[in-house]
Amino acid sequence: MRRVALALLVSVALSGCVQTRQYADVEFTPPQGDYKLLVMRPDVEVGSVTTGGLVEPRADWTETARTKVMAALRAQQAERGGNVLIMEKRNSLPGVDPEAVAELERLHYAVGSSIALHKYSGAYLPTKRGKGLDWTLGEDAVALGRKTGYDYALFLHAEDSFASTGRVALQVLGIAGCFVGFCAPNIGGAGQFAYASLVDLRTGEVVWFNVLQAGSQVAGIKMGDIRTDAGAAQMVDRLLDRMKPGRNVQRRAQAQ
Amino acid sequence: MSWSRRSLLAAGGSLAAASATGIAEARVLPKDMVPLIGPGYRAVDPDEKGMWQQMERVEEEVSGSNLLIKDPQLTSYLGDLIGHVGGPAAKDMRIYLARIPEFNAIMFPTGFAVVFSGLLLRMRNEAQLAGVVAHESAHFLRKHQLRQWRDMRRKTDIFSFVAIGAGLAGGVAGVYAGDLVQLGQLGTILSLLKYNRTIEAEADAMGVRLLAEAGYDPMAMSETWEQLIGELDLSAKYRRKRRDRSFTLFETHPSPDSRMADLKISAAEVRQPGKTYDAFRDRYLNALGSIRPTLLDDQVKLNDPGASQYVVETLAKDGWNGLLRFYEGEVWRLRNSSKLGDETRAAQGYAAAVAYPDAPPDAWRWHGIMLLKSGKRLEAHAAFARYLQLAPNAPDAALVRQMMNG
Repeated sequence: MRRVALALLVSVALSGCVQTRQYADVEFTPPQGDYKLLVMRPDVEVGSVTTGGLVEPRADWTETARTKVMAALRAQQAERGGNVLIMEKRNSLPGVDPEAVAELERLHYAVGSSIALHKYSGAYLPTKRGKGLDWTLGEDAVALGRKTGYDYALFLHAEDSFASTGRVALQVLGIAGCFVGFCAPNIGGAGQFAYASLVDLRTGEVVWFNVLQAGSQVAGIKMGDIRTDAGAAQMVDRLLDRMKPGRNVQRRAQAQ
Repeated sequence: MSWSRRSLLAAGGSLAAASATGIAEARVLPKDMVPLIGPGYRAVDPDEKGMWQQMERVEEEVSGSNLLIKDPQLTSYLGDLIGHVGGPAAKDMRIYLARIPEFNAIMFPTGFAVVFSGLLLRMRNEAQLAGVVAHESAHFLRKHQLRQWRDMRRKTDIFSFVAIGAGLAGGVAGVYAGDLVQLGQLGTILSLLKYNRTIEAEADAMGVRLLAEAGYDPMAMSETWEQLIGELDLSAKYRRKRRDRSFTLFETHPSPDSRMADLKISAAEVRQPGKTYDAFRDRYLNALGSIRPTLLDDQVKLNDPGASQYVVETLAKDGWNGLLRFYEGEVWRLRNSSKLGDETRAAQGYAAAVAYPDAPPDAWRWHGIMLLKSGKRLEAHAAFARYLQLAPNAPDAALVRQMMNG
C-alpha cells in the first residue's frame, strides 16, 4: 500500500507543471522606462472541462477573467514604468478605424500561427536558424505606430479551464483503480494556455514571443485561476515579467 | 470468461454491417417539426451562453471578412428572404454571402448564416434558394448546434465512466478490457454521427414546412437535391470515377439520394393540392444582377468540367442565353482535351453565344480568336471589332488592335 501511494505522489508531483518558452529578436531589449505600449484587445476564454474531456466555454467566467486579466496587466505595466492603453474594443483607439485594427489583428493571427508552427510545433525552418525571432507585421504596424505614437503593440491570448465535478469524480475512480491494478492517475484535461506577442511599432517586427502552459495531469488540481485577482496577476507575471533580451544584446552585455 | 480480440472485431463488424444494411433511418415528419424558439430569443443556460459568447466573436470575424460579397441590393434581398421563410425567429436571423464557389450554406447557433456564392450560382429560382435558406433557418429554430453539443457531452461523459468502469471491473477480475473499451468508443462515435444525421433530417423536414408556409412550392427542395446528385454524378464520370457513396454509418449527413427521396415525400405531405406556385425566377435573376457572370467564371475555373457543364446546362433548362453559351464554351476551352475535340466544342459555344444580344464582350473576343485559328481572318476581324466596341477599355484592347492589323 505504501509503495502505491508513494508512486502516486511522485506521478502527481511530476505531472503538475508550469512552463514558458520565449523567443526574441536578436537585437531585442526589453522595454524600460518611459515607453508607450498599446495592448490589443485581449482574447480570453474560460471554460469547464466536462466528464468526457470536452471544454465547455463559460460566458460569465470569461467575462470575469477578461476584466481581471486587464486589471492585472495595467498593474504590471505601471510597475515597469510603461505608458499603457488597453483596448477593450476595436474602436477604443480614437482616430483609428476599427476595421484597420481588425486587419492588423488578423494579420497578427496569421503571423502568430506561423511562429507557433515554426518555433513551437517542431516544423523548424533552416532559413530562420540562429536568427532569434524573425517575423514582421510590416508596414501596417508601422503605420499604426506613426498614427498613434505608440512604441509597442502587445497581442495577448489566454485560455483557462477547470475540471467539472464529473471530471474530478472520474479522476478519483482512476486513482482508486490503482489499488485493483487498473491505474489511471493522469486523466487531466484542465489548465491554462496563453501567449503574448510584442510588436515594435517603429519597425513592424515581432520582437518577442512567449507561450505559457500551466496544467496538472490530475483533474481537480489547479495550477492557477485567472478568474481571481491573484490568479490573473500570476498569469500575467508568468507570461510577461521575465522578458529576456535578444542574443546579440546578451552577448554584448557578456563581453563588457 | 475471456474475449479474444478476433471474436470482438467479428462481432463489432457484423453489428455494424447489420445496422448499415438492415435498418433504414426513419423519415422525420414535417408536422412534428415545431419551432423550439420564438422571436427575440436569447441564450438561457450557461452552456448556451458560453456558445453564444464565442459565436459573437465568430460573427464579428465573418462580417468583416474580405471574402464577403457586399453588393447592397443582393444582401438586402437575402436578408428579406430569410426574413420571409425563417419562421418565428425570421427577423432575428442574418445572412452573409461569401465568395466561395461551392454548394454550401452554414447556420451558426446565434442565428447568422453564411451562404456560399456557389449556392447562388446553382439555384434556378427563388423557390430553390428559399428552400436552402429554410433548411438553415430550421437549424436555428430547432436549436440544433446546442442539442448536438449536449448530445456529444452526454455521450462522452457516459463513455468515460463506462471506460473507467470497464477498466476497474477488468482490474478486479484480472481481464484486459481494452478491446471492449475500443468497441465502446466506436459505438460512441457512430452514435454521435447518427445524431448529426438526425439533425440534418429534421432540418430538411422543417425546411419543407417553412417553405410551404411561406407560400413556395415545397417540392423546390427535392429539385435542388436532384440537381446536386446529377452534378456529382457527371463530375465523377468526367474524372472516370464513381460518385462517392460512403458507408452511411460514417457520414455526418444522410446520403443525397435518401435526402431527395424523403424531401419528395415530405413536400407531398405539405403541398396544397390544386394550388399553382410561382418560383419567382425573374425576381431571383434580378437580385443576382451583375454578379452572375462572376459566379459562372469562378465555377468554370475550378477545373471540374463535369460539374461546370452540368451547372450550365441545368441553368439553361430555363432557356439558353449569350452568357450561358459563352461559359459552355469556356468549360471546353479550359479542359482543352485535343482527343475529345474541346477546341471545336469551345468554338461552337462562342459562336452560339454571339448570336444572342446579351453575349458578354469576352464571347466576341474568343469567337474572334477561334475564327482566326481556323483561318477566317475577315470574320475574325469583325468579331474583334465588336469586342472593342463593347469593351473599348479592355486591358488587352491594344493587343487585339494589333492582332487585327498584323
